[in-house]
Amino acid sequence: MTSDNLSAETRQPHRGDVMTPGTTATADGPGSPVATGDGRPPPGAEEAARRHIAAVETRARNNRGWRGTWMLFRRELARFMKVAGQTIVSPVLTTILWFIVFGYSLGSRLDEIQGIPYVDFLVPGLIMLNLINNSFLNTGFSLFISKIHGSVVDVLLTPLSPLQLIIGYIAASLLRALIIGGLIWAVAGVMGASTLHNPAFTLIFMILTSLAFALFGLVVAILAEDFDHINIFPSFLLMPLTFLGGVFYSIDMLPSPWDTVSLVNPILYMVNGLRYGMTGVTDVPVGFGLFLVAGSVAVFGAVALYLLSTGKKLRE
Amino acid sequence: MADPYSQSHLLSIRNLSKRYGNLTAVDGVSLDIRPGEIFALLGVNGAGKTTMIGCITGLISNFEGDIRVAGYDVRRDYQITRQLVGLVPQELNFDGFFPTAETLRYQGGYFGSRGNRERGDRLLETFALADKAKANTRKLSGGMKRRLMVCKALMHQPALLFLDEPTAGVDVDLREELWSYISRLRDAGTTIVLTTHYLEEAENLADRIGIINRGRLLRVDSRDNLMRTFGRRWIEVRLSGTVPRDLVNALAEYVPETPAPDRLRITFPESAHHRAGEEAPVKRLMLALQNAGLEVETLEGGRNRLEDIFREVVHSDRP
Repeated sequence: MTSDNLSAETRQPHRGDVMTPGTTATADGPGSPVATGDGRPPPGAEEAARRHIAAVETRARNNRGWRGTWMLFRRELARFMKVAGQTIVSPVLTTILWFIVFGYSLGSRLDEIQGIPYVDFLVPGLIMLNLINNSFLNTGFSLFISKIHGSVVDVLLTPLSPLQLIIGYIAASLLRALIIGGLIWAVAGVMGASTLHNPAFTLIFMILTSLAFALFGLVVAILAEDFDHINIFPSFLLMPLTFLGGVFYSIDMLPSPWDTVSLVNPILYMVNGLRYGMTGVTDVPVGFGLFLVAGSVAVFGAVALYLLSTGKKLRE
Repeated sequence: MADPYSQSHLLSIRNLSKRYGNLTAVDGVSLDIRPGEIFALLGVNGAGKTTMIGCITGLISNFEGDIRVAGYDVRRDYQITRQLVGLVPQELNFDGFFPTAETLRYQGGYFGSRGNRERGDRLLETFALADKAKANTRKLSGGMKRRLMVCKALMHQPALLFLDEPTAGVDVDLREELWSYISRLRDAGTTIVLTTHYLEEAENLADRIGIINRGRLLRVDSRDNLMRTFGRRWIEVRLSGTVPRDLVNALAEYVPETPAPDRLRITFPESAHHRAGEEAPVKRLMLALQNAGLEVETLEGGRNRLEDIFREVVHSDRP
């Protein structure tokens, strides 16, 4: 839309219909003063303003918002890299410790699981644990803390569309999750784990899972009103479901009926999907796992888009 | 180069209402803002100023009514209107992850602006924050955070700048510097809407003033018109003797008072002061004193301020 094709209604000042009787609301309204110093801006300022408005309007109509999206991604990336000790190094080191303790110390006492060494079995589960946690926390924490500090208005005032905001936030989350997942994967490889059964499938699965939880984190951060709300999901939902989702064991090892009960845990399918990509073994159908993560991306993406488009919680 | 903007108004608000449950924060407000003006929105805390600005700038999207900036609808064409407007919010905020200069670069970047480093550095210089360019924003004092927020709002060079209580918590020197900057910014082409409850601020800066109370815009007028309509002047004389009863009666239309037996005070509307000829109150008083053969020892005079006018308008709106 340009200023040249505005409707006549919007071009015309709405004379006299603005205020209570006897007052002057429009600069051109009845009884409005004409002389400078009596309500009108100085002529020089008005001319300068008219030129400035035209320049900003031209610039605004040419801006599609993708440069802004890129800057939001850059800002999010810079944010977690500024605290990389906490956001990258700590989860990688912790996971390597898990890997050494469970994989090599305790795992060496176990026989193979589903025909592969326990170390190989363990790696995908530990990576999945990190993908889920870090992709969720990155968007969730970043947006929520900006709500608490009030700096979320800096983003809300921008011309970025709901989709562009989502892309800016989740792209950084995805990158953080992939850096962590990639580092753990690489370290496991160096330490002798064999996890290259189907690298392309593995990568796709890692990306989809990270996107799903980055979107979930975004949704939770939009809805959250205090720290409890943002912590409740990683502590009381994601962590238990991940631990019970076959990270450390095969559901074949569970007594009945827990092996069947485990099948309702969606994270079981995610862990096994990644395990299939890395080692070729799985407890559950891989196709369903892929459908589940792709479906989660679609559902959480739709919810995030709905919330940001309607302004619920953020623009009320 | 684009032709200058030709419409009468940069901002047009029609029948804006915003409700939170049973509370009506903004109630049927209509208002136009002209290019190049400084408009002050006056109201007590909770009058609806911030909510109204939120609706215009995109911080609030669910409202009734129609808001257009340069003819663009703020909800449908938000990608354009948000580039036209800038906001310095009332609440102090900071992004604790970044130094000030970096914060400004990102803020400009969100709007697709280029040259953000140079513009950011210039703004930091202008607002005496250059020595804090590398300091984390959370380490800035309240006044510095306020100035940084002004810098952020200016990074995309908006055509219409909203300053929501810009000098709240700011010391006197800085307040005057900020006023001076606002005037210069307007002269350079930025239209400005500021909310304040420092009436001195409105009196010093604004071309027009709007008074808002309980979500309703009660009065919008030029500063001078407000003073003319609601303004009152008073004159008080101290005589060498007691004020005669006849004199008091002769000046009955000017609400004469005798705060002390030898003192007489008259009050009259600003408009009466400007009346020419014998009707002018000062002349009437002087003639009456002369005719009565009274000697004036001292004479004082004054006028009410915008603050009194504001109180009068708001109090007349009490339920």
